[in-house]
Amino acid sequence: MGKLTITFELNGEALSVEIESHLTLLGLLRDRLELKGTKEGCGMGECGACTVLVDGKAVNSCIFPAAEVDGKSVTTIEGLSGQDGDLHPLQRAFIEHGAVQCGFCSPGMILSAKALLDENPRPTEEEIRKAIAGNLCRCTGYLQIIEAIKAASEKL
Amino acid sequence: MKRFDYLKPRNLSEVFSILKEKPEKALIVAGGTDVMVMIHQKRISPEVLVSLRGIEGLDRIEEREGLSIGPLVTHRAIEKSERIRREYSALTDAVDVLGSIQIRNVATVAGNICTAAPSADTAPPLLALGAQVKLKSATSERTVPLENFFTGPGKTVRQPGEVLTEIALPKPLPHTGSAYWKHQRRQALDLPIIGVAVLLSLDRSRVECFDLFRQPSPISTLLHGLEKEEVVCKEVRIGLGVAAPTPMRAMKAEALLRGKKLSDELMDEVAEMAAQEAQPRDSIRGEAWYRKEMIRVLVKRMAMRSIERALDPGATAFPLRPWRH
Amino acid sequence: MEDFINIGRRVPKKDGEEKVTGRAVYIHDLSIPGMLYGKILYSPHAHARILRIDTSRAERLPGVRAVLTGYNIPSIKFGFYKDNVPLKAGKVRSCRDEVAAVAATDPEIAEEALDLIRVDYEALPAVFDPEEAMREGAPLIHEEHVGGKEKKPTNVLNLPWKLVCGDVEEGKRNSAHIAENRFKVTWVNHCCMGTSGCLAHFDHQNNLTIYSITQIPSLAQKDYTEALSAMGLQGKRVRVIKTTIGGGFGSKLDTYAFEYIAILLAHKTRRPVKIVFSRDEEFFATSPRQPAIIDISQGCTKDGRLTFRDVRMILDNGAYTSWGATTPSVMMMPISSLYKVPHVRYVAKCVYTNNTYSQAMRGYGNPQATFAIESQIDILSEMAGIDPLDFRLRNANTPGEVTPQNFKIQTCGLRECIDAVAQKLDWRQNRGRRDGRGIGMASLIHVGGGARVYKSDGCGTIIKVDDFGMVNVITGATDMGQGVDTVIAQIVAEELGVRTEDVSVIHTDTDVCPWDVGAHASRTTFVAGNSARGAARKVKELILEVAARSMGERPEDLDIRDRTVFCRNDPEKKSPLGKVLRSAHYTTAGRMMMADYFYDPSNENLDREFKGNLSVTYTYGTHGIEVEVDRETGEVKILRYIAAHDVGKAINPMLLEGQVYGGAVMGIGYALTERLILHQGKVMNPNFLDYKVLTARDVPRIEALVIETNDPAGPFGAKGIGEPGLVPTAPAIANAIYDAVGVRITELPITPEKILKALKEKELSEHRPAPVGLPEDRAARGSHHG
Repeated sequence: MGKLTITFELNGEALSVEIESHLTLLGLLRDRLELKGTKEGCGMGECGACTVLVDGKAVNSCIFPAAEVDGKSVTTIEGLSGQDGDLHPLQRAFIEHGAVQCGFCSPGMILSAKALLDENPRPTEEEIRKAIAGNLCRCTGYLQIIEAIKAASEKL
Repeated sequence: MKRFDYLKPRNLSEVFSILKEKPEKALIVAGGTDVMVMIHQKRISPEVLVSLRGIEGLDRIEEREGLSIGPLVTHRAIEKSERIRREYSALTDAVDVLGSIQIRNVATVAGNICTAAPSADTAPPLLALGAQVKLKSATSERTVPLENFFTGPGKTVRQPGEVLTEIALPKPLPHTGSAYWKHQRRQALDLPIIGVAVLLSLDRSRVECFDLFRQPSPISTLLHGLEKEEVVCKEVRIGLGVAAPTPMRAMKAEALLRGKKLSDELMDEVAEMAAQEAQPRDSIRGEAWYRKEMIRVLVKRMAMRSIERALDPGATAFPLRPWRH
Repeated sequence: MEDFINIGRRVPKKDGEEKVTGRAVYIHDLSIPGMLYGKILYSPHAHARILRIDTSRAERLPGVRAVLTGYNIPSIKFGFYKDNVPLKAGKVRSCRDEVAAVAATDPEIAEEALDLIRVDYEALPAVFDPEEAMREGAPLIHEEHVGGKEKKPTNVLNLPWKLVCGDVEEGKRNSAHIAENRFKVTWVNHCCMGTSGCLAHFDHQNNLTIYSITQIPSLAQKDYTEALSAMGLQGKRVRVIKTTIGGGFGSKLDTYAFEYIAILLAHKTRRPVKIVFSRDEEFFATSPRQPAIIDISQGCTKDGRLTFRDVRMILDNGAYTSWGATTPSVMMMPISSLYKVPHVRYVAKCVYTNNTYSQAMRGYGNPQATFAIESQIDILSEMAGIDPLDFRLRNANTPGEVTPQNFKIQTCGLRECIDAVAQKLDWRQNRGRRDGRGIGMASLIHVGGGARVYKSDGCGTIIKVDDFGMVNVITGATDMGQGVDTVIAQIVAEELGVRTEDVSVIHTDTDVCPWDVGAHASRTTFVAGNSARGAARKVKELILEVAARSMGERPEDLDIRDRTVFCRNDPEKKSPLGKVLRSAHYTTAGRMMMADYFYDPSNENLDREFKGNLSVTYTYGTHGIEVEVDRETGEVKILRYIAAHDVGKAINPMLLEGQVYGGAVMGIGYALTERLILHQGKVMNPNFLDYKVLTARDVPRIEALVIETNDPAGPFGAKGIGEPGLVPTAPAIANAIYDAVGVRITELPITPEKILKALKEKELSEHRPAPVGLPEDRAARGSHHG
């Protein structure tokens, strides 16, 4: 069917790509741009593993039409560490607090946390839980993730 | 995923001409969270998705007489509105627990009611708040009260050539409170087993027994206090979700309460009538007998929450279990 | 108190950085040039004859490179009972039966091809209830399967699950109180966030390399080798390479049909073939936890000493057999050895049905059995008029005990765990209020020092140290997120006298890594840890020999600590480790600093009577929970959760807490919200919307109490902890609910509906005698022997 061209900012870089109109943002990232950090957990917006930030807001990229990123800025997990490879305080906190076990949920989880801290730098525990409620984790039981986000908020 | 064309018209007349060309195979999308899932599950296979997101001005929440919600207003935008939290609290209750932040950032209230699932979280509150829906086509415009909007599971009166352009909420009467409870198994990412929304308007702004609301009083104690002061319910609307093939109003229950003095016995009758009016069914998400029982329990609880909010408009945050029994 | 540098430290997981930056490569991320995508067509019927399969249209679709069915593949029988084949022919026995498979140049084409395959079925009568399937005249799932003394066709599997210790009848005679109840537990899914998948490819000589997420690389290698033989490829090599694993929990303990299918497609097309499950496939086509119908009876004396435990189970085996059918061998453990019980009898029957079939899941039968045992302990103690806390203490296992199943209990911190939990919950004050809030507890026993389920319980390790003191540990163990890579590094670092960051652990390639029986039974810290420690000791000896020469001392006077070799009697005589190592290498007759060690613990296989010391040591624990029950809605809220475990020694407290929290949350889901709903053999909720995994908003705060009994057999005293966190959760919650509102739910999950129904029935029965027509409920009825 149809093709269209989208121009957007990806992890700080301007990009122009021709895509098939039915492509999802997840498909664009993983299959077209070979950025494998964003994961597919369910394909239906029910687990949050595919979370990326569009204009700073957390979205499920598996059900987000790629066409809709035109004119917007997208942040994936690959864009979180600094230019010199420095880890973002959230990434560091996740490692230091045992918040990463199998790691499959981690990219999405970290980006949801980033969206929270960017908007609310001193969240309560309740607010943290609400912010990551859309990111399922089967390994950690969430408690060390919540601690990590709290610790990161104190560093930022 | 199946293939489709994705078009982003810049105004409504472009939308109408696309719809005119391919009425059967074109679908309007706002956030697309429902549509994209249905395509993934192969439940629908549209040839064209017509996105409204390129059109200016459709994402506004306007305060006129009452409230006007545009078709691109996301659940997140509602969540963040302090005014809606205070004056149309039932709607905020709904968006607070809908899906996840990822969904709420993208999904729209208009989309939620156009998908018209019996479990749509915003429907019972909008029914209780007296919502009306504006539908526009290339040639005409009409306003439909929300209780006449749904015709069956996933079905509404909206024609393929029509776009929902506004959800309008009337200005509530003075001394009004509203509340919505989503009875669910988890605190996020879930569909309701049953959803109950109540709007209640009182005949006064203060009661002497208000202290009781600040203690773990049983509901019967609160209602006895209100009965003694002869507090009258001037207006009431009860919206129910997953209680019937479509979101519904418990009109008979409302009629029992409207204009009457509040009392424990009356509230029991109202709750019982609402449970009778509902026709919930058995499904993997819940059993009919339990749904009826929960309507009975939750209509009472949400009525009390509405009353508390009418008497104390700042009281929009509640502990999970309102009052001990 | 020993002064450790690495042991007991909260060392972050070593592969954390790869994972938080998105660089870790999971099976979903892997691709090889020329790769094809495989997809599987499943049966829509629970039981049907296959009349005809027409794949011609699918084969003609551009992009399709191969279409396989049960009729054009060699015969490969797999599974514990060897009753399963990768693609079915003749008939289908469940809605997850694989009927055809396609390999195509992209996943969309593969899916389209599936739609073009036409299969004609003739539906057969089906059976979905194991008790029905046991009766005469029930539809036979495998017609050729015979059993019993008369070798008649039957759905009951020929499995020997029967344990008799002492004389249960005598136990009954000695009982003042006897409780008899039925408990039911159902299917739950592992819900690994990374779905299953593999990538298979052959080289020009038909040697197979398979990228896999298996927990059992050495055993999987054996399974694949057998498959290759069946394909006419005898003597060919198999290399198993593990990608980063997106969650295990036992789901990767078996070799699945899709893996054989990938291998067959790769062989047919001469190209690499990748199969990755979608989420709904992950729900309906992987094997869930084993369900069970449990009839249990326990008795005690007047003063609350347990006299006997009599358990009968019926296990829904589903259409084919996997590890679920062996869970009784583990269920025997709590049945015979949780608390001191002199007389024990246990019989389990596994029955074919047209449902899905089960395999290993965290706990492997222990959570199921413990739900029944520990719920009934509370019932029994109430009958005896004894506080359940005192009842448990009275019967608690003790160090040095030999249980009726001949388990030799070494260290045992059960008393300490029970006490710790009771103290934290203020047990005496808070119990018995029946005001909507209640507290309950339950304990667990699990293998903590390996488990000899196969002839071997061993693990091999190779260690090599380079010129600078950097250490590579090559182990047969598997890390699926639980932290093996880090814990082994800590153990080796401590033994060798270096730091954890100097040690890297390699575990991903069967061409390189030594043999290990698998990541199961919470054995990895204990067995792989001891294996690594053994290899480290040997390397240390080599290093000290070299150091002795270069430092002019005797090897027995030297030691290594914090990267420095020093003289024990005169610590100022020292040399940096790197210097010593380089002197070993850069000299005539240089030596390599390498050693290998195979550790096979001194536990026993269970004998013909299922008795024997299965594990070198046992892990104990107690969970205590405070709940609040909403009497009008039946909803349960967990207010406090205390999880105490006797872990021997916490090598890495942070990772240990991760196992406890993760296990407990999985346990809460098992107790309250999770259920794979099957209707007429079809999974009705194969998605995260209707299968209720808990979210961050649902989990209570959990306090993990660590009791260290320093078991001499474990590496630095450690025992296993991977599974215990999940074992006693459900009965602790059930017991707390009973304390809160006086109703006992005997069937999981404990939903609000079940509680509300029970509350209403209780109300009715308290006001008048039970009306006719109430469902038969054997809860809390028992006989009283004067």
